[in-house]
Amino acid sequence: MKIKIDHKTCTGCKQCEIICSLAHTGSVNPWRSRIRVYVGEEFCYPVIAGPYTEAACNSKGTRMVEGLEIDECVTCRASCPSKSVYKEPDTGIPLKCDFCGDPPNPQCVQWCAPNCLTLVEE
Amino acid sequence: MFGWNGKILRIDLTKGTSWVEAMPTYLMEEYIGGRGMSDRIVFDEIDPQIDALSPENKLIFSTGPLTGTGAPSASRFMVSAKSPLSNCVSSPCCGGYFGANLKYSGYDLLIFEGKSPEPVYVTILNDRVEIHPAKHLWGKESYETEKMIREDMKARFNLDNWALNSMGIANIGPAGENLVRFACIMSDGGRAAGRSGLGAVMGSKNIKAVASIGTGQVNIADVEGFRKAVMAFYKEARDSGDFYKRRRYGTWGLPGRANASKSQAAFNFKDGYFKKFVKYEDPEKIIELIRVRDEACFSCPFGCSKRSRIKNDPEYPLTAKGPEHETMALLGANCGLGDMNDLCSANYLCNELGMDTITTGAMISCAMELFEEGHLPEKDIGYPLEFGNTNMFMLLKQIARREGIGDLMAQGGIAFASQYGHPELFMGIKGMGIPAWHPQAFDALGLQYATCNTGGAHTKSTMPFYEGRKDPAFFVEFTKKDQDYLATADSGILCWIIYHGPEWGDKMAEWLNYVTGTGFTKETLDPLGERIWNLEKLFNMKAGVKEDTLPPRITKEPRVKNRVVPLDKLLPEYYEMRGWDKDGTPTKKKLEELKLEKEGEGVI
Ligand code: SF4
Ligand code: SF4
Repeated sequence: MKIKIDHKTCTGCKQCEIICSLAHTGSVNPWRSRIRVYVGEEFCYPVIAGPYTEAACNSKGTRMVEGLEIDECVTCRASCPSKSVYKEPDTGIPLKCDFCGDPPNPQCVQWCAPNCLTLVEE
Repeated sequence: MFGWNGKILRIDLTKGTSWVEAMPTYLMEEYIGGRGMSDRIVFDEIDPQIDALSPENKLIFSTGPLTGTGAPSASRFMVSAKSPLSNCVSSPCCGGYFGANLKYSGYDLLIFEGKSPEPVYVTILNDRVEIHPAKHLWGKESYETEKMIREDMKARFNLDNWALNSMGIANIGPAGENLVRFACIMSDGGRAAGRSGLGAVMGSKNIKAVASIGTGQVNIADVEGFRKAVMAFYKEARDSGDFYKRRRYGTWGLPGRANASKSQAAFNFKDGYFKKFVKYEDPEKIIELIRVRDEACFSCPFGCSKRSRIKNDPEYPLTAKGPEHETMALLGANCGLGDMNDLCSANYLCNELGMDTITTGAMISCAMELFEEGHLPEKDIGYPLEFGNTNMFMLLKQIARREGIGDLMAQGGIAFASQYGHPELFMGIKGMGIPAWHPQAFDALGLQYATCNTGGAHTKSTMPFYEGRKDPAFFVEFTKKDQDYLATADSGILCWIIYHGPEWGDKMAEWLNYVTGTGFTKETLDPLGERIWNLEKLFNMKAGVKEDTLPPRITKEPRVKNRVVPLDKLLPEYYEMRGWDKDGTPTKKKLEELKLEKEGEGVI
């Protein structure tokens, strides 16, 4: 199972950030969310925090999405030392998507009103 | 504490200091947040007699207990002050990301006092509140200002892309700096706290912008209940066709609807129908022409606002927000402008310059009528200005920069139209332009506009959605209920687009209870709206604004459906419904009932 992201329909409402933090910490704070949305001009880009790696990669570059050049770090699921966004703001603990339990019940998918996040079979 | 932070951040611009105060409990219990709280502070701390552009005025940004919690559409912030346009208390509301960030920074209210000796901008990152010089930003247009502040914040606080992206910025364009009396406070690339000229108040204090990024949290009393309730709301909303329409079309469904019901403000309210809009009657057509993507405010499931592409014009950017229906009506139909590219350009210009598209549209259409009728000579403007003439784009820039005739127009509609001998041709109420729906098309819309405490505002009434009802008694009662309800919703603060009628009161009580853990019900919330309405009225009376009137065109010339608004018949009924005197003064009895006896001293 994985979460499919259709960045074209994302509206940048950030409800996914809110519910992720609410579900994991019991309070609302997007800085504690495992999903983060980058809001662009032509589209928005939700990125889910993947596994934490000790080292930053050395193949950073840019990538074209729908004719727009974007920083590859933004599209990468991995949390690494050069992506502070995937850490708790006060403790520095890295954040990682846990798929919201077993069986997977992703909260972000449920709160994404435009259905831009969907749970799909591999 | 749940919901609220219980903190007020005050910034004294004269001295360049800031401090935090504890929020008095009664403000939270009795006024909830948003418009309720900030109106109360306006009433308590601002002398109604002062000049709205003097340092004695205060500028209050407020959030509510729901702001930033994820309750659907709870992104908004309210700005309150004495208005330089109407002289009334005014509280425009704005979406985007600023409200939530102010809340995550740990404050419910942000109050600016005094006047900075030099242009400044303010950054708020939790308890790190800083005032920076902004000479380099002065004169810059709205979007450029935001961009420069983002770059500055990035360097200053070592923020990454996501944080920069999530930040909220409220700013003014050249119009606010130049004290144009209908300048807006802009936010997040094209949203506006629009009506009543608070951009000029911000400009008079020499504040170019406020940027906020908060890393704190909002606590919710009943997390499980709240999660389930929001999910249920989404489920219901997703299944309804209404939800689909509102998300897909936003306000783009309205020009067609307004045209069909002959209620489209057109040609300075000489008409209720605009032929050139026939081609946009199907909103799919507008989508096909200009839409790039849907754009939501923080925590809103709808995303009613649209990012659109302005085609074939190198002067404009690739994409921009809007135009919303109000803009299409006032800068479009009301000025005789019917081409989508032109509408996008007009909207873009106003957003960049930081001017309220509604009052600006009313100003320009008034100038157009004066020009066509021969009262405004061409030598005074420098170019012809008939209805539909795109020379109006030049005029927009002149107003914002106070050049040529723009200097006079920046003073507001009454001053301008009076100079040319025809004050009655400015279609405004208490100095503020009448919004998109022609009041003659609906029985009590005129009543709602005339009695609105902030002047003719489209967010303080929902009448067009009850088109088809004919019973005047229903309308008078509905007007009162609706005004009170919206004052409550504005204290929540929830968005008018979702919660568009008194029957939504229960929903708000439900969210408030889950979030704050208190026992609000629709019944306990309802009197709150009425109290706010009366408080606003008292402030206005102390400021010397007493009359509830409409322009003579609306009450005397049957332009739409062969009808006029019978304001002289409706007003007495309305005042009675409110428990006020015949001349619209709140009675002692009413004020006692609302626990506002002390506030009424000196006026009644
Ligand atoms: S699946 Fe759960 S943990 Fe992962 S991003 Fe979504 S809400 Fe957060
Ligand atoms: S909830 Fe959905 S639409 Fe909203 S920001 Fe997240 S992914 Fe985008």
